[in-house]
Amino acid sequence: MSQGETMLEIAGVSKSFGALAALAGVSFTVREGEVFSVIGPNGAGKSTLFNVISGLHVPTGGRIVLRGTEITGRPPEVINRQGLAKTFQITNIFPGISVYDNVRVAAQSRTPVSGRLSSLWRLPDVEGPVMGLLDAFGLTARRGDLAQNLSHGEQRYLEICLALATEPALLLLDEPTAGMTPGETKEATALIRRIALDRSLTVLLIEHDMSVVMGISDRIAVLHFGEKIAEGPPEVIRSNPKVLDAYLGGADE
Amino acid sequence: MSKVLSWQGWLVFAALAALPLTPWMSKYYLLLAFDALLFGAVALSLDLLMGYSGLVSFGHAAFFGLGAYSTAVLLERGVLSLWLCLGLAAVVVGAYALTVSYFATTRRGIYFALLTLIFAEVIYTFFRYTQTFGGSDGIQGLPPSQVWSGVAIDTPARLYYLVVAYLLLAYLACRALVRSHFGQVLVAIRENEDRARFLGYNVQRYKMGVCMISAVLTGLAGALYPGRAAYATPDLLHWSISGEFLIMVMIGGLGTLVGPIIGGVFFTVLQEKVSSYVQWYNIVIGLVLVLIVLFVPRGLLGFRHALRRRPGREAA
Repeated sequence: MSQGETMLEIAGVSKSFGALAALAGVSFTVREGEVFSVIGPNGAGKSTLFNVISGLHVPTGGRIVLRGTEITGRPPEVINRQGLAKTFQITNIFPGISVYDNVRVAAQSRTPVSGRLSSLWRLPDVEGPVMGLLDAFGLTARRGDLAQNLSHGEQRYLEICLALATEPALLLLDEPTAGMTPGETKEATALIRRIALDRSLTVLLIEHDMSVVMGISDRIAVLHFGEKIAEGPPEVIRSNPKVLDAYLGGADE
Repeated sequence: MSKVLSWQGWLVFAALAALPLTPWMSKYYLLLAFDALLFGAVALSLDLLMGYSGLVSFGHAAFFGLGAYSTAVLLERGVLSLWLCLGLAAVVVGAYALTVSYFATTRRGIYFALLTLIFAEVIYTFFRYTQTFGGSDGIQGLPPSQVWSGVAIDTPARLYYLVVAYLLLAYLACRALVRSHFGQVLVAIRENEDRARFLGYNVQRYKMGVCMISAVLTGLAGALYPGRAAYATPDLLHWSISGEFLIMVMIGGLGTLVGPIIGGVFFTVLQEKVSSYVQWYNIVIGLVLVLIVLFVPRGLLGFRHALRRRPGREAA
């Protein structure tokens, strides 16, 4: 991958819940166009990191800069409009409306009418982008079904469609293949890679499954008990003794 | 955008317009029809909030009653213009709804509902104990309002046509709203408020917006009420009235617009008819409502709700 401009800068970000330090001074930089993964054992602070970046939690310390704009502590809707979209580890969709309406309401968010007075009587036409996304994720045939009636794998894809419909520059994927079979995981990984390339997206990925991470990432950061213990390309991370130790002996600490 | 109204819709309103021409529409029935359609319009407005946005208001009587008092205050002082009455009601109710919704939308679920109730009780208590507004007697003996100078809405037929016109306009407004960008975002907020935020929607702004629209539509209906009753009393602001509005929406069918109108008509006519026969009419009404909840839990028009969820492209 080309080494582009800085997309996201995480500088000394900390987050404490009471006495528990979930994140302790984590820093890294995600460059434009790359797939950057954050890995680590359970409880390493990966999801907290995502929640802080996407605006769900306000960090206790540090700075987060997205495309030159500081977004530290801003609410999720503002951060999303700065070009960051997030998918959730536990499927988070609009269960009681159709698959098409799910993606449509997400796509409407980027139309000029959104937030204007005329949005009270106008409905923007977003059929093109919505059908494009549904096609890319193989959901076209199910567009009329209620989202809650989709299979688990399909819901995971719909989750990504929602995020992509807001036309982000940076996509945060929180364990996108959680709960998928090995076959589905492989397919999903290839699909994510292809869509990221097609849309020249920058991807920040949290993943448990090492095979997914190694196959898809340009660079990897490893979190352990809220601290970054390593960063580098997959082949370097794979042989880093601290990383191996964290994964094999981490539970004892 | 689709047609303004379906042919069935036009047919219903044409039938409503022709109703006074039929021989059995006495003065009594015209006024009953006025009440029924007026409360149908209120239930319609409340459905925007409950059915589409998933917000339960226990305080809609305050919007209705404030609208009624706005008219009453003007009529009492000899300001008879219907348009001024409606204008004042919109401003007063809008300002009050802005305040309520600003605080209530910071909380969710039952806490939202309780905040609407608490604000409404403050309004009730204020009018109940303020002598300027007649205290517990309210403002009585009001003259009819005028569409323009000299044309008073002083007959049951004129009142009836006024409420039919208001219902038609309110219905068209609500129908356009739920099909708009704004309405679709409301549904998304009802389904999953947190997700809507992560798609870039300022959820509180949308919630405040729909609260104010629902409140002003309810307040305008309230503003028409003194023209028929010649009074505005604190009873109109009582929480039990808010409860009746909720029941109208529930028995009609949440999230259907037409259902709550039917619910409002049904409830009003049922209450009037049963109470004219027996003193313990509330027991009968309660029983009917229990049966409806048991056997048609989604309301009389609940089936329409399911039909609306058809494939995206054709969806409203």
